[in-house]
Amino acid sequence: MNPKNWLLLVLLTVVSQTVTAQDAENEQTTNNQGRLSGNLSMNGNFFIRDSAIGAANTPQYDRQLFGADSWLNLNYQNWGFDMGIRFDMFNNSNLLNPTSSYTDLGIGRWYISKKINKLGITGGYIYDIIGSGIIFRAYEERPLAIDQALYGIRLTYGINENWTAKAFTGRQKQQFGTYASVLRGAAIDGYIGSDSSSISLAPGFGVVARTLDDGSMNNLVATLNTYAKTDIFTPKYNTYALSFYNTLSSGPFSWYMEGAYKSADSFVDPFQERVTVSGDTVVGRYVNGEGSVFYSSLSFAKSGLGLTVEGKRTENFDFRTNPQEAAARGLLHYIPPMARVNTYRLLARYAAATQFVGEQAFQVDARYAVNRKLSLSANFSNITNLDGDQLYREIFTEIYYKYKRKWTLTTGIQLQEYNQEVYYGKPDAPLLKTVTPYADFLYKFNTKTSIRLESQYMNMNKDHGIRSDYGNWFFALAEFTLAPHWAITVSDMYNIDPGKLSPTDANTGKQDKIHYPRFDVYYTYHANRFSLSYVKQVEGIVCSGGICRLEPAFSGVKMSVNSTF
Amino acid sequence: MGGPVDPNPIDSQLRQVIIEEFTGVRCVQCPGGSAFIQDLLAIHGQQLIAVSIHAGDFSTPYSASLYDFRTEEGNQLLSYLDEPFGFPSAVVDRKLFTGQFDLQLGQGDWAGFIASEMAIAPKVRIGIEPGFNAGTRKLTADVTIYVDEAITAPDVRLSIMLTENNIRDLQITPSSSTPIPDYNHRHVLRDMLTQYNGDPISEPLSQGAEITRSFSFTMPADWKEENCEVIAIVSLAGASKEVLQAHQVHVVE
Repeated sequence: MNPKNWLLLVLLTVVSQTVTAQDAENEQTTNNQGRLSGNLSMNGNFFIRDSAIGAANTPQYDRQLFGADSWLNLNYQNWGFDMGIRFDMFNNSNLLNPTSSYTDLGIGRWYISKKINKLGITGGYIYDIIGSGIIFRAYEERPLAIDQALYGIRLTYGINENWTAKAFTGRQKQQFGTYASVLRGAAIDGYIGSDSSSISLAPGFGVVARTLDDGSMNNLVATLNTYAKTDIFTPKYNTYALSFYNTLSSGPFSWYMEGAYKSADSFVDPFQERVTVSGDTVVGRYVNGEGSVFYSSLSFAKSGLGLTVEGKRTENFDFRTNPQEAAARGLLHYIPPMARVNTYRLLARYAAATQFVGEQAFQVDARYAVNRKLSLSANFSNITNLDGDQLYREIFTEIYYKYKRKWTLTTGIQLQEYNQEVYYGKPDAPLLKTVTPYADFLYKFNTKTSIRLESQYMNMNKDHGIRSDYGNWFFALAEFTLAPHWAITVSDMYNIDPGKLSPTDANTGKQDKIHYPRFDVYYTYHANRFSLSYVKQVEGIVCSGGICRLEPAFSGVKMSVNSTF
Repeated sequence: MGGPVDPNPIDSQLRQVIIEEFTGVRCVQCPGGSAFIQDLLAIHGQQLIAVSIHAGDFSTPYSASLYDFRTEEGNQLLSYLDEPFGFPSAVVDRKLFTGQFDLQLGQGDWAGFIASEMAIAPKVRIGIEPGFNAGTRKLTADVTIYVDEAITAPDVRLSIMLTENNIRDLQITPSSSTPIPDYNHRHVLRDMLTQYNGDPISEPLSQGAEITRSFSFTMPADWKEENCEVIAIVSLAGASKEVLQAHQVHVVE
């Protein structure tokens, strides 16, 4: 019997005993000292073909018509052990590859953990991070089907009250299997401070190493052998990444800094040219290089004023389980994006994905509460490549006004510059420049009933007389909430002045002014939340947790159930 | 009539590996993939067969394009061989290689898996005798499968592809925001003379068996027969779609 089946057997035995003794009044079930908890997350998509918006020509629209994703997680604590198991299901799923269909199910995660005095032992699928994640982050991001769990063993040791050490080894998860490359790493984290001083330090140091598997190395060598002699290098089996980080806190100030170094590693530089043996010049090739990241964040918070200044420089830091993986696959780490995470629909349309090969960026964020009614905030972020070419720039302002407990108004404007050539891979494409004013008005009829109205308008620049990308947009939303159970949302994203890429009417040859409506109903009962949505969604970059990818248009009905117990 | 000399004659036929590249005229990175395949062809010669299948989101022709390279079978193959995560992408011998998530491979895996496939002796050899009547533009192809090692798989298929080389037409490239007009499109899948996933072979594939099929097709006037090739593929169907052997001949000398 394999480890998954053993753990499942143990958990099922525990569950059957626990349920017998279950106290219906208790939301968290206990049995003796045992504690069982869990959660369910489930999404269902009904695909309705709409070729006018590009929601077509995938297996889901062509023949499958339905897809579902689900994660059922069970955790149990008893006898000093923590253990858990997660059932994952993907049916005709478009999460892994938005233009394809993925069907599989099984045990997506299991783990068992025990603490013996100062020593902690965890085996199975482990989520963990070193520092801010620059050299190592094992995590999951379900909306993008990212699951970078480490399948292996981790030991932790509490050296004393303020210092802990950890070490791990294993392989990275790949859906229901694992990649072949072997990982190992260690970190030490501490805290230095005293009651007599307002200054404290939280230093740490980590190291991660990856050994390429023979299959990946053979494929890498086979590819390099097709290169011209000037582009060939000797790849390394072992790559090491080191990171030193520290948070210094002093009164209202907090200063985080991290410096990371990666030894020589093979990766694809998408901007490097190569002359093929046949004489063609192509863009993108394997290179071998050392990498570095420097990241720092200084925050100040006092008397209603909050200020944060961040800076980051990245060079050759594409660190993957093997160099053949691309996009968000096989990444061993996570480099924080240096731009504001926007939530309003149009403001979030153009997001700057982290550039591993080279990027330098800074961001300033300021918030000031004038009084209890009025607060102001502004954000400026600027990202260039290492040659100084503009990749992304954003200016964001926000005014928040609250009138008693009756209504609130949030309004402001966003200005963006976005490099299509880099983020979309469009050669010689000029920067997209947008100006997007927005407003969000919340009115409370009483303590239970409220309505929220949201509106945004995106103005896009022109290129050779034609609006770039999809052109101008107008977005409006109305959300009616009947607490604590119901929320109903109606919205429309309207391509009011179509651009270069807006869909063209097959009959007239003109670009359509297309509506992308959405209707949602949410119902919440205690720890259960249900939603039913009719969605038409334009293609665009979707970001989750700082990772972005291009998502095709969607047309259909979505359902979701989220439950914790 | 009378076909060209087979450069890979049946008596001494080695393993021939097929790389099916998915591409499109609007795919900016695809010329890089095609150039890489040219390098691989230069290295492996007759032992590597390349097919460029124009299908997917980037394959819609420009309004000024001379040709629409998309084919019904190409679209079906895209779905049959897994939708790629990005373009260009290719399938080598329709095989799910160890450590791979699906059949579609990024450029970094092509050379290695092609090399590993070439080391495997073919279980079958394929003979193709093409004939072309320039007057009627009728193409015939007599295909014989020689079974060297018994195959017990329940579903084995024969696919016949027609490709055309050196077609000059629009293609976006990384060098310009507008497509270049005279890009050299190589080994473009033009049509198939069987089902997209091959016609079932009903005869027993016992050692020493010889199975023959004949095909005919009238080539459109705008295809240059001197640039066209006939490709035969013997593959499994079902859970495994692995290619057992492929073979390619010119339509004319």
